[in-house]
Amino acid sequence: MTLSDAPIGARVRIQRLSSRPEISTRLRELGFCENAIVRCLMRGYGNIICEVYDTRVGLNSSLASGIHVSHLD
Amino acid sequence: MSTRLIALVGNPNSGKTTLFNALTGLRQKVGNYPGVTVERKEGRLRFADGGEALLLDLPGTYSLTPGSPDEKIATEILLGTGAYDPPPDLVVCVVDASHLERNLYLVSQIIDHGLPLVIALNMVDIAEKSGMAIRSSALAGELGVPVIPTVASKGTGTEDLKRAMQQTTTASRKAQLWTLPAPVEKETEELVGILQDVHRLPAHHALHEAIGLLTADGPAFEQMDRYAPEVLSHVRRDHQKLDFLGFDRRSVFVESRYAWIKGVCARSVTRRAVTGASVSDRIDAVLTHRIWGVLIFLGLMAFLFQAMFSWAAAPMAWIGAGFDWLGAEVALVMPPGDLRDLIIKGGIAGVAAVVTFLPQIMFLFLFLGLLEDTGYMARAAFIMDRLMSAVGLHGKSFIPLLSSFACAIPGIMATRTIENPRDRLATMLVAPLMSCSARLPVYTLMIAAFIPATTLLGFISMRGVTMLSMYLLGLIMALLLALLFKKTFLRGSGRAFIIELPPYKIPSLRSILLLMWEKAWAFLRRAGTIILAASIVLWFLAAYPRMEGGSPAERLRHSFVGQAGELMEPLIRPLGFDWKVGVGLVTSLIQREVFVSTMGTMYNMQQGSGTNASVSLPEKIREDRDPATGRPVFTALTGICIMVYYVLAMQCFSTIAVMRRETNGWKWPLFQLGYMTLLAYTVTFIVYRAGIALGLGGT
Repeated sequence: MTLSDAPIGARVRIQRLSSRPEISTRLRELGFCENAIVRCLMRGYGNIICEVYDTRVGLNSSLASGIHVSHLD
Repeated sequence: MSTRLIALVGNPNSGKTTLFNALTGLRQKVGNYPGVTVERKEGRLRFADGGEALLLDLPGTYSLTPGSPDEKIATEILLGTGAYDPPPDLVVCVVDASHLERNLYLVSQIIDHGLPLVIALNMVDIAEKSGMAIRSSALAGELGVPVIPTVASKGTGTEDLKRAMQQTTTASRKAQLWTLPAPVEKETEELVGILQDVHRLPAHHALHEAIGLLTADGPAFEQMDRYAPEVLSHVRRDHQKLDFLGFDRRSVFVESRYAWIKGVCARSVTRRAVTGASVSDRIDAVLTHRIWGVLIFLGLMAFLFQAMFSWAAAPMAWIGAGFDWLGAEVALVMPPGDLRDLIIKGGIAGVAAVVTFLPQIMFLFLFLGLLEDTGYMARAAFIMDRLMSAVGLHGKSFIPLLSSFACAIPGIMATRTIENPRDRLATMLVAPLMSCSARLPVYTLMIAAFIPATTLLGFISMRGVTMLSMYLLGLIMALLLALLFKKTFLRGSGRAFIIELPPYKIPSLRSILLLMWEKAWAFLRRAGTIILAASIVLWFLAAYPRMEGGSPAERLRHSFVGQAGELMEPLIRPLGFDWKVGVGLVTSLIQREVFVSTMGTMYNMQQGSGTNASVSLPEKIREDRDPATGRPVFTALTGICIMVYYVLAMQCFSTIAVMRRETNGWKWPLFQLGYMTLLAYTVTFIVYRAGIALGLGGT
C-alpha cells in the first residue's frame, strides 16, 4: 500500500521510499523517513494532507504514491 | 576585540524572522549575498552591558543538505567556505517547540559542524497548548548546549537568550551525538580520516562531505570531480561494501539522526493526550475543503484587489494634492525661469507621479504579510496546486506569481523555494507578465483619459472592468506561456509538490508593520533617487536644444526628446503609437511608472507656462491634436493598445538584472526580454488592426 491509498484518519508506518533519490532525501528530511508514523488527514484536488512528527504537510499524489506504508493499528 | 558575528538559523515557519525583529528592532540592514539574490538581512544586537554583536538572519532551511539556493547559502556560511570565510562566532538555532522532532534534525546537523550553539526553543506556548511539556534543562543536557525557551511574538525570553548568547563561546561538549549502525560508522570514520589527510579539511567539514559522498548516487556522484581520484575510488568501494551488507546508504544517515531524536524527545518531553481536533484542524477542514476552500480563496483575492483599487484611492488623492500644493508654493516663492521649471516640472511632477502609488504598495504588502504570518499562504499554494499543475507549474509557483502583482523582483526571488530547477525557471520566465504595481499608474492614466466612467448593467464600472481585463490578460498569457515552456524546452519528469502547512496563528502586527515600512522605504528611496534623477534628466532633454519662437509643442518637437521620439516613430507607428509614446517607452525602461512622469513632463513642456495649469494630465492627453491634421493624437483604441503593450512587455531593467543574477548568466534574461517584446508587439499590433477593422477609431 502507498500513502496515496491510505484511508483518511488512519495511522500508517513508512516502509520504504521509491521516488527519485533527491526527492526521497527531501522527503526524509521533512520527516518522511523509514519507520516514521504518518496520519492521513485529508484528500482533495489530487493532493493529500498528512501529519508526520506533529507537522502538517501537503503533498501531491505522485509523491504520495512513492511512499510505501503499512497499517499500524 | 572585533564585533562577534552571530548567525540565526532555523526551519521555515519556526518564527525566526519574528525573533530576529524582536532582537534587533529597527537596527536592520537588508542586502544581498554576493552573486545571488538571496536576501541578506543583518542587524545590530545590543546586550544589557552595552556590548554589541552583529546578528545575521540566514535563509530558512530544513537541513544542511543543499537542496535549494537558500539552503546552499546557509550551509556555506556555517561551514565558512568560499566567500563566507570565516564561519560565524556563534550560531543561534531557532527551534519550533511544537514541532520539536522535525526541528531537532537541523540542530543535530549544526552540532556536527562544531560551532558554538545556543538553542532558542520558540513558541513554547503553542507546544504547551498542544499538550507538550518540554523540560528545557533536560534537553540542554542531552544536546550539551544552552536551551532558552522563548515566545518571540510576545518578546518572552529574549533577555535570557541574549545573556546565553553573550556567555556561550564554545561548541557543544558532545560532538556527534547520534550513532550509526557499526559497519556504516566504521566506513564513515575511515572516509573522514582520508578527507582530512588528502583535502586538509577540518574534522566537522570532513564529516559533512563524507556523508554527502556516501549518500550520493549515479549522476550526483559522477559530478563530485572536486575530490581527488583516490578519495573517489575509496568511496566507490564503500558504496559496494555497504550495498552488499544490505544498508540503504540514502536513508541510513537520516534514519539514524531521527532514531537519536526520538530518544532525546522521549527523555525530555512529556506529552499529555489532547482530546478533540485542534483549532488548526478545524480551520483547515474549511479552508482546504475542496469547495469552500476555493471559494474562500477567490473571495480573499477579490478583497485584495478591491482594497488596492478602491480603498487606496483616497490616500492616493491626498498625496497627489500634497505635491500639487508643494508645486504651487514653490511657484510663489521662486521667480519664473529655467530653475523654477526644472524644480516644478522636472523634479516635483516626476516624483509625484510615482509616489502617489505608495498606498497601493503598502496595501499589497499588508495583505501579503497577513497571508504569510497567519499561515494561510501555504494553504493557498496547496489549493492552487491543481490549477498550477494543469499548466505544468507547481503549487509553490503561486506565491511568486502573487508577489509579482506587487513587483516581479520579489516574485523572482520567491521562486527559490521551488526545488525543481525547471519548474523554478518556468515560474521566473512568466513572473514579469503579472501586472506589477509599476504598471498600475500607466493603466490608471490611460483609463482616466479614455474609458468613460459609465456602468454596465447599472453596477459594474466600465473602468473597473477594463482594469481587471488587463490583469487577466497578463495572468492568462503567463499560464499559457508556462504551459508552452513546460511542453517544450523545460519538459521535466514527474512533478513533486510538498509543502509544510504551519499551524494557524494570530499575525504579529510588529512583523507586518516592519515589512510594510521596509518596502515603503525602499520604494520612497527609489522615487527620491532614480526617479528624481530620471525626471530631471528628462526635463533637460525636453527643454534643450532651445528654440526661439514657435509654439510650446513645436519647441518640444525640436528638443532632444522630440528628435529621439521621431527616430522611433516608424517602428511603433504600426501599433498606433506616436513619438511621445515612443519617448515614454524608452524612459520607462528605468521603471514602468516613469511612463506617467514622462507624459507629465512632456505635456507640461508642450503647454508652456501661460496656460491653465489646472487641466489634468488625462485631459491634456485626450485633447492633444495633431498640428498638421487637427485630429486627436490619441483615441480610446490607442489607450487600450498602450495598456496591452505594457501588460506584455518587459519594460524593466531591474527585472533583467535580477534574472541575470538568479540564473547566473545572460541567456535567460535575454530570452525573456526577447519573447516578451515580441509577444507585446504582436498582440498590440493585432489589437490595433482588429480595432481599426471594427471601426473603433485610429488615425
